[in-house]
Amino acid sequence: MLRSLPRALRIPSGAKRAATAIGASFVATALLILIAGKNPIAAFSAMFYGAFGSMDRIAFACNKSTPYILCGTGIALCFRARIINIGGEGQIALGGLGAAWVAFVWPQHSAFMAVGTALLAGMAAGALWSGLAAAIHLWRNVHEVLATLLLNFIALLLVGEALHGALGEPGAGFPQSSMLDNAYWLPVLATGSQLHLGIVIAVVVAVAAHIYLWNTTGGFALRVLGASRSAAIYAGFSVSALTMKLMLVAGAMAGLAGAVEVLGVHYRLIEGFSQGFGFNAVVVALLGALNPLSVIPAGLFFGFLEAGALAMQRQVGVPSSLVSVIQGLTMLFVLAALASTAQRKAA
Amino acid sequence: MRASPLLEMRGIVKHYGAVRANDGIDLDVSAGQIVGLLGENGSGKSTLMKVLFGMVAPDAGSIVFRGKELSGHLPREAIAAGIDMVHQHFMLVEAMTVAENIMIGWEKAGRWLRTAEIAEMIRETSAGYGLDLDPRAPVGMLSFGQRQRVEILKAILRGAELLVLDEPTSNLSPPEINGLITVMRRLRAEGKGIVFISHKLAEVTAVCDEAVVLRDGRVVGRAPIAQTTRADLARLMVGRDVVAPIVRTDCAASDPLLSVENLSVDGPDGQHLVSDVSFSVCGGEVLAIAGVDGNGQLELVEAIAGIRRPAGGTLRIRTTDVSRAGVAARIAHGLSFIPPDRSRTSLVSEMSIAENLALRDVRQPPYSRGVFLSPRGLQAAADRLIEGYAIRAPGGRTPVHQLSGGNQQKIVVAREMDRGPKVLVAFQAAWGLDPGATRFVLEQVLALRGAGAAVLYISTELEELLSIGDRIGVMFRGRLAGIMRREEVDLERLGLMMAGTSDDSATLAA
Repeated sequence: MLRSLPRALRIPSGAKRAATAIGASFVATALLILIAGKNPIAAFSAMFYGAFGSMDRIAFACNKSTPYILCGTGIALCFRARIINIGGEGQIALGGLGAAWVAFVWPQHSAFMAVGTALLAGMAAGALWSGLAAAIHLWRNVHEVLATLLLNFIALLLVGEALHGALGEPGAGFPQSSMLDNAYWLPVLATGSQLHLGIVIAVVVAVAAHIYLWNTTGGFALRVLGASRSAAIYAGFSVSALTMKLMLVAGAMAGLAGAVEVLGVHYRLIEGFSQGFGFNAVVVALLGALNPLSVIPAGLFFGFLEAGALAMQRQVGVPSSLVSVIQGLTMLFVLAALASTAQRKAA
Repeated sequence: MRASPLLEMRGIVKHYGAVRANDGIDLDVSAGQIVGLLGENGSGKSTLMKVLFGMVAPDAGSIVFRGKELSGHLPREAIAAGIDMVHQHFMLVEAMTVAENIMIGWEKAGRWLRTAEIAEMIRETSAGYGLDLDPRAPVGMLSFGQRQRVEILKAILRGAELLVLDEPTSNLSPPEINGLITVMRRLRAEGKGIVFISHKLAEVTAVCDEAVVLRDGRVVGRAPIAQTTRADLARLMVGRDVVAPIVRTDCAASDPLLSVENLSVDGPDGQHLVSDVSFSVCGGEVLAIAGVDGNGQLELVEAIAGIRRPAGGTLRIRTTDVSRAGVAARIAHGLSFIPPDRSRTSLVSEMSIAENLALRDVRQPPYSRGVFLSPRGLQAAADRLIEGYAIRAPGGRTPVHQLSGGNQQKIVVAREMDRGPKVLVAFQAAWGLDPGATRFVLEQVLALRGAGAAVLYISTELEELLSIGDRIGVMFRGRLAGIMRREEVDLERLGLMMAGTSDDSATLAA
């Protein structure tokens, strides 16, 4: 798969393809629910209600989508340049760690400074992690898939180490940090709602990435590199500088996602808070056809799906892990659609 | 003389737009006969073979093979009928063994692979033809010549009665060429027919029974080898069009624009790909370098263009030392480069014409302002260059892969010329182009020379080099064998130098 993946990325088009993939995965999931002896229509309607049933539900789902959009945008940029960065998981974890760490080590009292320093620290930590992977890739010639993947495990252990040590809440009995000071909480968009600033940051980042990709000379170089490495060298673009730059940017976006999660949802660092985000973000990027603007709806889809899943589990008794099945199947169907288009093109 | 005609192609016509790639070609091959198909690039050889294999449908004409008419056929059906082809680019899987490669897509290999049995069959057959192949060797470990033998063996085992060899010697060393010729003679003795596509006259006269010469899509000569000479064939092949450029400037008169001193390039395993090459080119001069593919030409031009890091040596543009400069800095110093590979290097086929025209200058106006691309600048430049270089395309937004090879190369030429370079380095710039497009490229290069630029023009096509070069050099095994003035060129000696057998190459080295 690692070998065929980059080639499959060549044809970025198609809301149609995304819709087909999603539709097919729902049909397959319905069959699974039937086999489990439940009513798929009831399950799906519970899911729909759970996702869209009230303003609170919608806010909850938007918050869930935020890290997907942030991390997925960075991954989309990397994949488009044929840099297969699957280190989102670790970069998110480190982003959360960075944000919490700076909050405890260098406490700020004005909300602006507090949120600002914590978000920047999260971005820096994520970029550090992806930069490390890029450095290993560029200077030691290790494939970027391996470098980014393996660093994920180390990142998770680092977060665990911090929570069992310096950052851990005394006497909590659970690996988590103390509650952050109020000043660090991400402002909510409407009083009384859970919806925090994160979704706005995510949309701004995705739009900025879109402008970068299509309207700047740097984005031009990225697209050339993705289409043909030898053309990029011929054009005078430095492949290693570009790789490093994109990895740093993607890492910063993933780190931002982790920081937003800590400051906006949990108000503290919790072990395992980043579970699965990084890999789902890869699916989001592919579902969005590696187009930063399309990553927004793709991320929202995943967020709403997860929000709905919890409700489905409560009301119908269908396990919410089925949502992971839907996500996995969506990914498979998207990849299958990409691969078949690539084949048709080659023939 | 030979009774049974194996293949009869009659009146084959194929047009690509206005270009008549094949214009009423007849081709006959008998069993036990080797026919040399001669012609320059773009003379219609490959189109004719594509028609034979059913890869393109002819506009007119008929093909009869072993008494049966072939029309509207697929390549698969041509192979089943007993026609096979060894392409210049091999169709082998490097990670698999010789036996596995031969079994791929071969019905006789069976559904349940009888590897040992097939390996034995390969060993026997290859020994019988003097091919000498180990069925268990991974193809990736084989030399170029050995891979070619795998392809030939594949064709023999599949029962080919007619074998087309497409420029089979262009990447072979002299001993490998002799081996190939031996194999061809054995095949002839077995009663197989062979079409030998080449533009190397010595090989054609050595092995063929008959020569058919194509030019501009027509048969311009057809003769039994015994009744013709190399000189006759050369004249037929090149036709009236080889005109030596008019005025030759004397390089000593002005300072060199491009000078290369002791340039060496090493391969990943420390082998010397380019050894100690020195030369200089003056403004208004074309230095043409000949050589069989793979003798270090690619590495030389890539080192000059800044794409490949040399092991040593100095490169100057006028008096500026650019040995340490990157690609972009060399472009800024006035160095333009036309690389051989259009599909992946000099063009990005999925991007638009406008974007490809901006490829190497995108950080300059009019293509961008600060960090932002200027869509208007891109479009205006595209409109101007499409018009100026007669690129046949609907507009600047058209993706490059929709264009013909000739129009694609016009984009590259337009981009590299429009910069107003001091120095142009071109490698196989007319490769795979039809005669019209080839002429266009050569004319553009000569126009640039007329404007006072220095041109380094590297090709494997001798006639092309002779028609454009003020001085001619030859590369062999990474060394520049000797540079002579166009007037002093002796074709025979040039050929020998390309084969590395010239005993006076040492004295020629300037």
